[in-house]
Amino acid sequence: MNKTMLGYVPKESPIYAVHPFVKLYFLLIVSLFPMFVAAPEWNFLLLVIILGLMVISRVDIRIVRIYIPVAISMGSIILISYTILGGRHPEFQVVFNLFGLPIYWERIRDALVVYFRILPMIATMVFFLSTSRERDIIVAMRTIRLPFVVTYVFAMALRAAGMVLEDFQIVRQAEQARGFDTTGKPLTYKIRKYIMYMIPLFALSLRRSEEFTNALVARGYAFTGEASRVKRADYILTHYTFKPHDFVFTAIITLAFIALLVARYGFNYFGLDDSWFIRWLYSVLV
Amino acid sequence: MSAIIEIRDYSWQYLNTENPALNGINLDIYEGEFVGIIGPNGAGKTTLALSLDGLIPGQYHGVKQGTVKVMGKEVEAYPRGELQRQVGVVFSDPEAQFTAMTVEDELVFGLENLGLSIPEIRERLEWVTELTALKSLLPKPPYEISGGQKQRVALAAVLAMMPKIMVLDEPTSMLDPVSRKRIFEVLGRLKREQNNTVIVIEHSLENLIPLADRMILLSEGQVALQGPTRTFFQQIALLLEKGIYPPEAMQFFYRLVQRQWYNGDLPLTLDEAAERLEHVLMPRHSTYQGS
Repeated sequence: MNKTMLGYVPKESPIYAVHPFVKLYFLLIVSLFPMFVAAPEWNFLLLVIILGLMVISRVDIRIVRIYIPVAISMGSIILISYTILGGRHPEFQVVFNLFGLPIYWERIRDALVVYFRILPMIATMVFFLSTSRERDIIVAMRTIRLPFVVTYVFAMALRAAGMVLEDFQIVRQAEQARGFDTTGKPLTYKIRKYIMYMIPLFALSLRRSEEFTNALVARGYAFTGEASRVKRADYILTHYTFKPHDFVFTAIITLAFIALLVARYGFNYFGLDDSWFIRWLYSVLV
Repeated sequence: MSAIIEIRDYSWQYLNTENPALNGINLDIYEGEFVGIIGPNGAGKTTLALSLDGLIPGQYHGVKQGTVKVMGKEVEAYPRGELQRQVGVVFSDPEAQFTAMTVEDELVFGLENLGLSIPEIRERLEWVTELTALKSLLPKPPYEISGGQKQRVALAAVLAMMPKIMVLDEPTSMLDPVSRKRIFEVLGRLKREQNNTVIVIEHSLENLIPLADRMILLSEGQVALQGPTRTFFQQIALLLEKGIYPPEAMQFFYRLVQRQWYNGDLPLTLDEAAERLEHVLMPRHSTYQGS
């Protein structure tokens, strides 16, 4: 099994045959698809396709389960925001009244549209994180010849995020060892006492930054001056080659995106007017 | 022989501190020498290590007096990033010096900074992974391996750059005895196979002594004692007074000297101690057998 940012993927997974750039490109482009699609059934289809890709990539699909409560609470919040907290709109059609508040058909429809746009976006991100390592992002960025300093700052940010989490655990355990533990205490108490974690964490982060800077300098890295102008070889990229199938995947993603834009704005597809789901829901509710 | 490092009347005081961390240091370190630096906490060992790599005064605020010359040139006179290609530093906390996502990236980062070509990087990577037995760890994230492995990665990352001078600041302080031994095995190979100048700041004297050509004792920011390793440890009374505890075999012989049961040199290693003990005990042993 190989560790990824969100779990483990077997070494035999076909996803390893795909160049990291293609994975990042998939994330960036396919995440945009739902923005141009209003009809929920198409976005649902995209969600199913992404889940299918996860299965093909041999991602442990059980990791999706942990997002189900998140998806449910997110859906509830969107629905409440659009309906109960959506304000009064006399021009809209009332489906029913809830404690005197009119619940409009248009607001329910809009909530569903937004919800079904977000779900495939999240799934795309989960797919990417489940099949990629931090290194893949860096490789993808370097493949498109982004300046080294940009990719390196990004890598440092990824690394720093992990270090802060580790340090937080250390601080928490140290506080617990000295009898300070917020487990089982009310939320207000936890928020009030959070400063107890934050101060040492902040101090640790400062120290880490200093050590990190020293490490960079000690390895002969310089952001300015003569040393910064050295022509760098990119050894890591020698492990990755952009194979014919990577070109094919990139082309498919690009063409799919262009086709989507043409269909949406040229032929007015994927809109709400053509949505059989919305029509069916309308017939049920109104 | 000319000194590769010349330190003259060197003092360094960090900002907002009352006393200088280093005070009037005079030292010469020669090419190919393996130097051990010891001293109690707060003696200025790390400050000295940082000074040799130009991190002091480059990265720290403070007041400097005197000169620190590396290969005949004052450390501040080197262009940014240039001195670090000649002097490699391994810090005590390996995790603090990781800058990459995999062990392999970590090892090649410095080589890329040097501007080496891909074949040169590949060659050095093969050499250093073989030397430090890290081949199987190359694809792993450096923060997910064991403490001993982390320190070997940190050491290898610096070794790969092939600096003329290597400074190791307590490289085994966070390691168990087995991992510690492995680090010193690597240093031993380095000493035998390369002609690097190696400066090791270390508390683990059992491992350091067999390798060190010369020892330096720092105390309260000053050089309290220095000399060839064997001569240095004959001053065991001073070492004990300064809070340094030499290996127990050596202390045992020092007790024998105090009781006038032994009057030779203090043994540096366990093997030497066993050999000398045999000489001390043999007549008594045979007497005991005979009585």
